[in-house]
Order: sequence, then C-alpha cells, then structure tokens
Amino acid sequence: MTALTLLFTLASIGISETVYLIRTREKAELPVCPIGEGCAVVLTSRWSKILIIPNDVMGFLAYIAIAFMSALLLIEVEPTALFSLALKILVGFASLASIFFTYLQARVIRAWCFWCLMSACTIWLMGLIIIFSKTI
Amino acid sequence: MNKTAYNILRVGLGITFLWIGIIILKEPEAWGSYIQNWVVELLPLPIKDIMISTAILDIIIGFLLLIDTWVWIAAIVGALHLVVVLVVSGITEITVRDLGIMAGMFALFAQTLPQSIIQKFKRKPTPLAP
Repeated sequence: MTALTLLFTLASIGISETVYLIRTREKAELPVCPIGEGCAVVLTSRWSKILIIPNDVMGFLAYIAIAFMSALLLIEVEPTALFSLALKILVGFASLASIFFTYLQARVIRAWCFWCLMSACTIWLMGLIIIFSKTI
Repeated sequence: MNKTAYNILRVGLGITFLWIGIIILKEPEAWGSYIQNWVVELLPLPIKDIMISTAILDIIIGFLLLIDTWVWIAAIVGALHLVVVLVVSGITEITVRDLGIMAGMFALFAQTLPQSIIQKFKRKPTPLAP
C-alpha cells in the first residue's frame, strides 16, 4: 500500500503542476519560474509540442492514468495483473520521455525549466518506487 | 495568504481528500464502523452505500482542489463534510486530526471566496439623516 500511496501522491502533484502549466499557456501568460529563468524559453520553444499535442497535456493525461491505475490497484479491482503491467509500461515510457526532454533542455534548447525538471524527477521517482516495490 | 502557501495547502488537502476517498472505497464497511450507533439508527440507507457516497464526494472535492477549480465550493463542502464527520464519529484519537484538515479547508474557503459574494454580505453604510 505504501508504494501505491506514494505513486498516487506523486501523480497528484503532477496533475496539479500540469494543470497550472496548461492554464498559464491558455491564458498566454508566462509561468512563475521559482528557480532559474529558463522556464519561458523552454515552454515556448518548438519542443514544447510533440506533433500537435502540447507536452503539458501529454503529462496531464499520463499523471491522470497513473493516479487512476494506482487507485484501482489499491482497491484491488480486477484484472490487477493487467493494471500493474500497464502502470509499469506507462511509467517506463514516461521515464524515457523525461530523459529525452532533459537532454533537449541541456543540449538543444540550452535552458533549464524548473517545472519540466520537477516533472522529470517526479516520473523518475515513480520509476524507482516501482523498481524497489514488492507489491506492484 | 501568500500564493505559495495557498498552493501548498490546496494541493496537500486535495491529495488528502482524494486518497481518503479511495481508501474508503476499498473498505467502506470498515470505515462505516467509526460511525456512532445513534447515527446508524437514523440513516435512511445501508452504511455501505453511505460510505461509498462519502468516498465519491471526497474524491470530487480532492480533484477540484487539485485542479484549482471551484476551490471555494470544494473547500466549504469539504469543511462542512468534516463537521459532519466529527459529529457522527465523535472526536477520537483518529478524528482529532480532522480538526486540522477542517481548519485548512475553512482557510482555503476564506481565501478563495469570490468578491461578488463577499460584497453581498457586507453591510451597506446607512445614509446620514439630513
């Protein structure tokens, strides 16, 4: 239960963060950048979208799916094996995507975005929890 | 309230409500056992149904807080819900923490209540007699 609680909590923080980024983008405002000054550079770069879908929307959907699957696993809704596998695949894919986006910030855009790094760390932490958890 | 403090309080309470809703969905009858007997006798529905409804309400409140939407409504409903929880289960070693959560919800409500509503309840100055 502890691992699922942590996953759910991290996913909830991710939902809150991505909703903030989506809102500020829709209002054409620049997000507050608590550390550094590169948020605007990164979030308005051509890499802020994959095809036509903004990354913040993709992140929001991923966090919703992770929170939903963690909740289903806790309530023990069948098929738990399928939900567990789907959760692992989703977090694994999101971890790889986060590595790619972090690489883009470091080497291509050459600016760091606090919110993007926070999201990446959230996803990697989820990956570590799944790797070390015996219950998921 | 400072914007950062507001966001930390909002997200923290949102996660708490969401998670408690999911935990209640897992074992509604076990959570129903906290309700005092005199309340159970007054309930029009089985305790399991009441607890499932409570869980759904908690999840809706938590999600609204998390996505920063209709926060004042979610906060006042959540705070009043906690008042009911404290009445029907009494202040025990477990529910005593709900006092803090309730205070947090009232703080969020006070912070996010729209100005249009505040103005309605403000006393208008009476004109001076000529």
